[in-house]
Amino acid sequence: MTEKVNFTFGQERLVTRMASPVFQIRDLHVKVENKEIVRGLSLEIKGGEIHAIMGPNGTGKSTLASALMGHPAYEITGGSVTLDGENVLEMSVDERARAGMFLAMQYPAEVSGVSNANFLRTALNSRLGEGNEVPVLKFHRQLQQKMKELNIDPTFAERYLNEGFSGGEKKRNEILQMAMLNPRLAILDEIDSGLDIDALRIVADAVNSLRSPEIGFLIITHYQRLLQHIVPDHVHVMMQGRIVRSGGRELAEKLEQNGYDWLKQELGIEDETVGAEA
Amino acid sequence: MTTEQTPISTTSSLITDLVHRFNEPAWLRERREAAFAKYEEMPTPKLEKTDLRRRSFDIGPFASLTAGGSARVRALLDSLKDKAFVFIRDGVAVQSNIPDTIHQQGVVLSSLHAAVSSHGSLVEKHLGSVVTAEESKWAALNAAFWNDGAFLYVPRNVKLEETVTFVYESSAQGHGAAVRSLLVAEEGAECAYTEVFLTDGELESGKVHADVLEVVAGARASVKIAASTEYRKGPTNFTIRRAKLASDAKVDWVYCDIGDGFTVGLLESDLVGTGSTSTLSGIGIGFGRQHFELTASMLHRGRYSESDISMHGAIRERANSIYRTSTHIFRHAAGAGSEQRDRMLMLDGTARADAIPMLLIDENDVQRCGHAASVGRLDENQLYYLQSRGIPEKQARRMIIWGYLEPTLEAFPDEVVREFVRQHIDEELV
Ligand SMILES: Nc1ncnc2c1ncn2[C@@H]1O[C@H](COP(=O)(O)OP(=O)(O)OP(=O)(O)O)[C@@H](O)[C@H]1O
Ligand SMILES: [Mg+2]
Repeated sequence: MTEKVNFTFGQERLVTRMASPVFQIRDLHVKVENKEIVRGLSLEIKGGEIHAIMGPNGTGKSTLASALMGHPAYEITGGSVTLDGENVLEMSVDERARAGMFLAMQYPAEVSGVSNANFLRTALNSRLGEGNEVPVLKFHRQLQQKMKELNIDPTFAERYLNEGFSGGEKKRNEILQMAMLNPRLAILDEIDSGLDIDALRIVADAVNSLRSPEIGFLIITHYQRLLQHIVPDHVHVMMQGRIVRSGGRELAEKLEQNGYDWLKQELGIEDETVGAEA
Repeated sequence: MTTEQTPISTTSSLITDLVHRFNEPAWLRERREAAFAKYEEMPTPKLEKTDLRRRSFDIGPFASLTAGGSARVRALLDSLKDKAFVFIRDGVAVQSNIPDTIHQQGVVLSSLHAAVSSHGSLVEKHLGSVVTAEESKWAALNAAFWNDGAFLYVPRNVKLEETVTFVYESSAQGHGAAVRSLLVAEEGAECAYTEVFLTDGELESGKVHADVLEVVAGARASVKIAASTEYRKGPTNFTIRRAKLASDAKVDWVYCDIGDGFTVGLLESDLVGTGSTSTLSGIGIGFGRQHFELTASMLHRGRYSESDISMHGAIRERANSIYRTSTHIFRHAAGAGSEQRDRMLMLDGTARADAIPMLLIDENDVQRCGHAASVGRLDENQLYYLQSRGIPEKQARRMIIWGYLEPTLEAFPDEVVREFVRQHIDEELV
């Protein structure tokens, strides 16, 4: 992989990479508990692009995100996923992360006894690789800086990972991790749910400040409001486990105003959830 | 009565040997003999979760001095060198560092044998007052044959700043072990006591290791007790650690066992006094073919007495652990409150764990009485979450397990012992 570690700390990022990433999903099929949830989904995300996925509840959006990250409960039954031509599906979860993938989860786990800071430093060092570990002080300076930008109380560094965090605090913590780890492909699953209006803007600003040719975004959301702050290049609608319509930002606006019925009618879909057959 | 036969080769000549070797007073000899008689007449106990029929109750002969100690114990003693400690190997006190300053306020710190000589009436008064010879066969065995242990006496209103540590090491040459320790904290006294039990090499099978620790906490006394054990395979390990609390006394236990032994243990606070409180946090790391039955118990006799038990097991290979958390609120203990948490983590599919919460409540007026017990695997979602940030699986597992154990370990009052235990746990969490 063409990657370069940048040691000029104190600047924005702890990890920088040279090449613009290319992430490709081709005809992906995913099963959960013997039920096919994702049914032939294709998507290409290049560095610098922001893709949004919208779609009614239960249409397989989170399943897609979890499967891409390698969650053990999700079985890939067909198709391919590559990052810069490398087979993602052969990688373990942590290898995917070290290759530059990041998933801000809809429901992040809580881990008692492990402090936020310790967790993040271990994660960052894993990503930087042996011999390139970030010095402790620089790490903490960077962490405090990012926490300030995200309006996170500095005491959260020593709190146990997500334990007792409110819904919105968990979401901001996901974004904090993203900002620290500086991924090449970031998937944000309903990062806007549970956020108040101010927090929504703060999170959007954080995403926008990371925006560069070195990172591609896949943003799963139900609401146009997030997409007013983070303007997507492409909007996709997911139903019955696949992308049924793609367009520009105007598609999101149309959905916000009119809901999904017109689209279902156009496509002849009665039940959009994955349980129903097309 | 049981009809099973127990091979017993323990003989009363052991008592004569001990009495002669330590020039013991008549009262002690009589107590040993009475305990031995009790021991002989008691049948092999039948336990619900532990089969003792094939375990022998043999102990001795006691050597007068065995080799100098393992490299591990040497390293530990070296890091304790600026602190108050006593090292007892195979029942013989071989090394100690007791600063003079400790004795200034009337504190007595010595081996139990030394205390029998120097403070006979104090020992006579308290020895056996918390753990009697009658309560079980192994309590009787210990009372009859104890060869040494710790003695700590803290007078009224004296605050002992220093942590006191007793280090024990057993080898096959000890032919079993019978450690007995006695802590007395008078009214308003404060102290912290740590004991570390180590083993050197393979132990003889067919022998008994029976430890007894008695803690007398006077009114308003505050006592911290930390015990780190490694009950290993070979002998049958019996252990009783109990504190008896007067009014407003406070006893905090922290316990850790790392081993593969056959062990039956009891950790208990007898909350006799009004307003007495006790906490107990425990860690158990089991491996090999361990059989470990541990009861963590709180006896609420005093009104407004409060307790908190929190046990954490992590077991692997073919270990079988039974953790019983027991709260007994006696009649008239109005306003008492207690909480139990018992969590066991099975690190391998072959390990077996049993978490048994017990609540016996004879009083209507109880302010709180909560319990939670669980047995499970490492949480897949936590593992996935850590891995999704780039942390390799093995390291992620360790982080989660450490996250689970760390808060208990933090309760060890002495940082040298804490680090020693931390390292030992880390080695065993493969
Ligand atoms: N681990 C799982 N076990 C069982 N069923 C699952 C699991 N994960 C997803 N499903 C099922 O797959 C379907 C799609 O769920 P998914 O979470 O992907 O939907 P979603 O599009 O993200 O919905 P939402 O908008 O409500 O977040 C649902 O019917 C869900 O119940
Ligand atoms: Mg979802």
